[in-house]
Amino acid sequence: MKKKLLLLTSVFSLSLCLFFYNSFKRDVNAIKLSGGITSESQILMSLVEKMIVHYTDYPVKPLNNLASANIVHQAMLNEEVDIATTRYTGTDLLVTLKLPLETNPEKAFQIVEKEFIERFNQQWFPGYGFSNQFMFMVTQETAEKYNLKKISDLKNYDDKLTVGVDTAWYKRKGDGYQAFSKEYDIDFKRVYPMQIGLVYDAVAAGELDVVLGYSTDGRVGSYNLVMLEDDLKFFPPYTAAMIARIEVLEQYPELEKVLLRLENKIDTETMQRLNYEADNDLVEPSIVAQRFLEENNYFEEEYK
Amino acid sequence: MIILSSSTNIISYLIENSTYIFQEFAKHLYLSLIGVGFSIIVGVPLGIWISEKKRLAGIVIGIINVIQTVPSFAMLSILMIVLGLGDNTVIATIFLYALLPIVKNTYVGLDSVDPHFIDCGRGVGMSRFQVLRIVKFPIALPIILAGIRNALVISVGVTAIGSFVGAGGLGDIILRGTNTTNGTPIIIVGSFFTALIAVFFDVSLGKLEEK
Repeated sequence: MKKKLLLLTSVFSLSLCLFFYNSFKRDVNAIKLSGGITSESQILMSLVEKMIVHYTDYPVKPLNNLASANIVHQAMLNEEVDIATTRYTGTDLLVTLKLPLETNPEKAFQIVEKEFIERFNQQWFPGYGFSNQFMFMVTQETAEKYNLKKISDLKNYDDKLTVGVDTAWYKRKGDGYQAFSKEYDIDFKRVYPMQIGLVYDAVAAGELDVVLGYSTDGRVGSYNLVMLEDDLKFFPPYTAAMIARIEVLEQYPELEKVLLRLENKIDTETMQRLNYEADNDLVEPSIVAQRFLEENNYFEEEYK
Repeated sequence: MIILSSSTNIISYLIENSTYIFQEFAKHLYLSLIGVGFSIIVGVPLGIWISEKKRLAGIVIGIINVIQTVPSFAMLSILMIVLGLGDNTVIATIFLYALLPIVKNTYVGLDSVDPHFIDCGRGVGMSRFQVLRIVKFPIALPIILAGIRNALVISVGVTAIGSFVGAGGLGDIILRGTNTTNGTPIIIVGSFFTALIAVFFDVSLGKLEEK
């Protein structure tokens, strides 16, 4: 009995010691990173985390599963998060800053960059190199059959085509289906509002002709879907980038240089591939990120 | 059926992500142990104290009972406002939930010691503290251990919910499974290991109680 009790006490005291060690040595000054609930945001968080660990010995603390840009923004204002690893210009322009829509990606980026410095003392980093936004997609065959390249091309055939879109987008005012239909003067034969995760399989199986999906979803690449160019610039740009609190960048002088290495390193196809590994091959985001960085040797070459 | 059809997926998921799963497993174990550890540090002395001062027992146990009625998700959210995101919030939540079984069992264990033993102790000239240490505590120990056992099992469940405040642990795996289109294997693996920790705690403390 005494021996066993001793064992129990030592297990508990050991874990308590570990806790105190952690909280005094590391947690207090750790760089806190935010990750979302999507595979994409978790992959990007792991990328940032592993880059910082690789190049510096700054302590980092990842915080996963923060559900929305709003939560992350609040957490950053409360200094509970130092680097928001996945933010999209469109969301922050419309939701966080409550500014009018700007469909030119460069302009939108300039606006959020300027506003975030002025209002929140937070720095936008140059984009990762991709944009995760709504895109109309068709299969290779449909594209060839009707010779489709941009959304305007759909106009001549809109009475023949069936379309699947996200339910929320369908009903949304301002940039939803109604507005889209007006802007492009397109009225499809039939529109099926559905859960966004289903559209890729539906179009690949030939049940629908055209669907509206996210550009970086892994299934876009694996089903070889053709994305139609938004030639009238109807959809707001969702350029993905990270934001850091300026105080933290000053506190850790090496940090900015490390984070800048990720600039323009992930194009849309690469992000599709990474998402596909996470969603379809069920590889955990942190392992996907690890492999990606090892493949690319942590982007060391260019800065020597 | 679902389990059968995705069993190959489960195996490939396990092989592909073993380092990650192990890491989250260890984190889960660690968070649960710390929360209960703090609870023991506070709860056992509190239980001893109220067993000596019977008038306070009703109030203290009443308060702890009320804490227990708050749903764990609500508790996490409330504590998050004060403690912020991350580990500390989860540890504090576990601490609060583990108090009830530990304090109550300590109190009941000490209180149910046969008065004859206490009289005997007093009779041979022991002080109050000596009676507690030499007579009452060893007799109450199995009941206190049962309380700790109970607390550990509860803590595993609370830690799983803790991934909503960014603490990590196996809850992260389960949550990702629910967000992935074909996430069934992920959910099964995550919940299996969570259950494994709970069973491990239950069995190992059960062994301790035996003798």
